[in-house]
Amino acid sequence: MPAHQQSLEDATLVSREFIAPGFWHLGLRSPHIAGRAGAAQYVAVDIPGDFAVRLPLGIWTADGDTLSLLFREWGTRTERLARLPVGTTLSLLGPLGNRFTTPTSAKGATIVAGGLGIVPFWLLAKEYQRAGIALEVIVGARSKDLLVGVDTLRELGITIATCTDDGSDGTQGNVIDLLRARPKPDLIYGCGPPAMLRALCSFANERHVPCQISMEETFGCSLGTCWGCVVPVRRGCDQATGYPRAPADSRAYDLARVCIDGTVFQAADVLWQR
Amino acid sequence: MATLNGSAQPRIDTRVRIGSARLKNPLVAASGCYNRGAEFARVVDPAAYGAIVLKSITAQPRLGNAMPRVAPTPAGMLNAIGLQGPGIEYFLTHEAPALASAPTAIIASVAGFSVAEFAAVAARMDGLPNVVAIELDVSCPNVDREGECFAADPDSTAAVVAAVKERVSLPVIAKLTPNVADIKPIALAAQSAGADAVSLINAVRGMAVDVTAARPVLANVSGGLSGPAIRPIAVNAVWEAAKVLRIPIIGMGGIETGRDALEFLMAGATAVAIGTANFRDPLVPLRVLRDIEKEAERRKLSTVAALTGLAHPSFATKTGTR
Ligand SMILES: Cc1cc2nc3c(=O)[nH]c(=O)nc-3n(C[C@H](O)[C@H](O)[C@H](O)COP(=O)(O)OP(=O)(O)OC[C@H]3O[C@@H](n4cnc5c(N)ncnc54)[C@H](O)[C@@H]3O)c2cc1C
Ligand SMILES: Cc1cc2nc3c(=O)[nH]c(=O)nc-3n(C[C@H](O)[C@H](O)[C@H](O)COP(=O)(O)O)c2cc1C
Ligand code: FES
Repeated sequence: MPAHQQSLEDATLVSREFIAPGFWHLGLRSPHIAGRAGAAQYVAVDIPGDFAVRLPLGIWTADGDTLSLLFREWGTRTERLARLPVGTTLSLLGPLGNRFTTPTSAKGATIVAGGLGIVPFWLLAKEYQRAGIALEVIVGARSKDLLVGVDTLRELGITIATCTDDGSDGTQGNVIDLLRARPKPDLIYGCGPPAMLRALCSFANERHVPCQISMEETFGCSLGTCWGCVVPVRRGCDQATGYPRAPADSRAYDLARVCIDGTVFQAADVLWQR
Repeated sequence: MATLNGSAQPRIDTRVRIGSARLKNPLVAASGCYNRGAEFARVVDPAAYGAIVLKSITAQPRLGNAMPRVAPTPAGMLNAIGLQGPGIEYFLTHEAPALASAPTAIIASVAGFSVAEFAAVAARMDGLPNVVAIELDVSCPNVDREGECFAADPDSTAAVVAAVKERVSLPVIAKLTPNVADIKPIALAAQSAGADAVSLINAVRGMAVDVTAARPVLANVSGGLSGPAIRPIAVNAVWEAAKVLRIPIIGMGGIETGRDALEFLMAGATAVAIGTANFRDPLVPLRVLRDIEKEAERRKLSTVAALTGLAHPSFATKTGTR
């Protein structure tokens, strides 16, 4: 089980950067959360205004007492967040969720990200660099303008292969095509839209490659109490512990909460159909 | 409780009574929003609440509805969890023992699909450690068959309450739905059947449409709306019920601040429950209690109970309970 060490912290918005139409990069001074952030963890942001529930956003970078968020204007809360002036105080809850785990033996790994699914990988890349383990990164999106964060990741000195559905950047095709064209990876990390993750899990499971994915669902509480964010997982797997099973129950799967039992799951544990 | 010594502030007596149950303060964590408090304990002491209402337990384990089953909406959220839960057997063997170390008083919540089921499950909740009352979720708006909402009908409500009262010794609270034309006959039916209190309100039926995908946001199509968006509906339900009831009312629906809670108390509620607001601010019970106490102090009242009904003509004395 992950260690749930988290804080409710008043963070200060220290930078606000326009990335591409609809995409933003915000820096927040949040010493307690930034200092403990791990790859694939997220913060739940209390957006000022008439919003009843916090907005979950992945932690993109974390350096010293500052963390950053990379997000798209999806709807009302992200639109509001994109318009807050530098200096605004924001209540953050975090870091929430479990983390990607890094292997103890030094075998290389492959990261597969779709669009904003790149978010958990800056922290993971840093961990790999610290451990001196090789990492290859594949990032895909529908088109070039949706490939955000790639340059920041490249600045870490990491080689990144990109692909787009329309060929406007990198190889034309999707991340799974790119993965197929390469030697079989020892370990895969994935994050992105559900269709991509599902295809990635099949790819990894068919080839018996260990694969960790960070999942997303619509969250209510972000705390594990509303049961709004569940996914079906293999019965008895680590993350299934969140949902108590009835003894007489013959179901072949359990439910896990993405917000607290995840967001990271093993590809072999996620059941896409129920 | 109120002590006056030297220059110290007079202490307000925050205790309230729900039937024979006595809560140390009038704040209750609403069903389905707090588990047993453990998830919140990392950022706030759940003992801030006078009681925690557990997620409604059913006879059988339930997986709940398909995803997505929550959706943020303006000043609120929709949920269509569909009463996911382990069922009473698992609850009793695996979860109930932990109630012995519960941070505060516990109110067990029961949901069912027949009168017999309500009675059978409630009977097994009676006498569990720290459980001081049993709430009957006769109003969950998520169950897909219209006929399953007992609280839409006075007779069905009365039948459930009466059957449960026969089997349990703890105080019984009927939790009613706002999705009715007039709450009064239903509240009265619950009272006549022996309910010791009513909880008002459960979530309000609503839905949202994803206009990009051109389909309902929730897989279940409709869900229960909670949060500040429903507060005026909830305050009115409490006000209406207070016209006809003599049993206490636990008011809820969108409470985020002390001022919000005071609306419910003054409209006739004896206690207030907080659900969705815990998601936004886990510290909400601390803030709300502090502000309620301040208001009692400002009005030179020695008890929080004296705030009940202050705005309501049915509370003739203008201080305290009926
Ligand atoms: C753990 C976690 C981490 C996240 N990290 C990030 C992140 O780092 N960056 C980021 O940009 N987003 C991230 N998200 C997604 C973000 O929280 C949601 O998109 C959120 O719903 C946006 O809130 P909103 O109020 O702006 O939009 P809402 O009002 O909730 O949604 C507006 C509309 O957009 C659609 N929509 C919402 N989210 C998505 C989605 N993810 N994909 C496709 N359509 C969608 C909905 O159908 C809705 O109609 C994360 C989500 C989770 C659960
Ligand atoms: C995610 C969620 C789950 C809920 N589950 C239950 C439940 O199982 N039983 C019940 O009686 N009420 C349930 N409710 C209703 C709340 O207890 C409460 O009546 C309602 O949300 C209004 O209060 P609020 O606006 O403070 O949340 C649930 C509410 C939410 C948001
Ligand atoms: S969002 Fe509430 S349990 Fe996950």
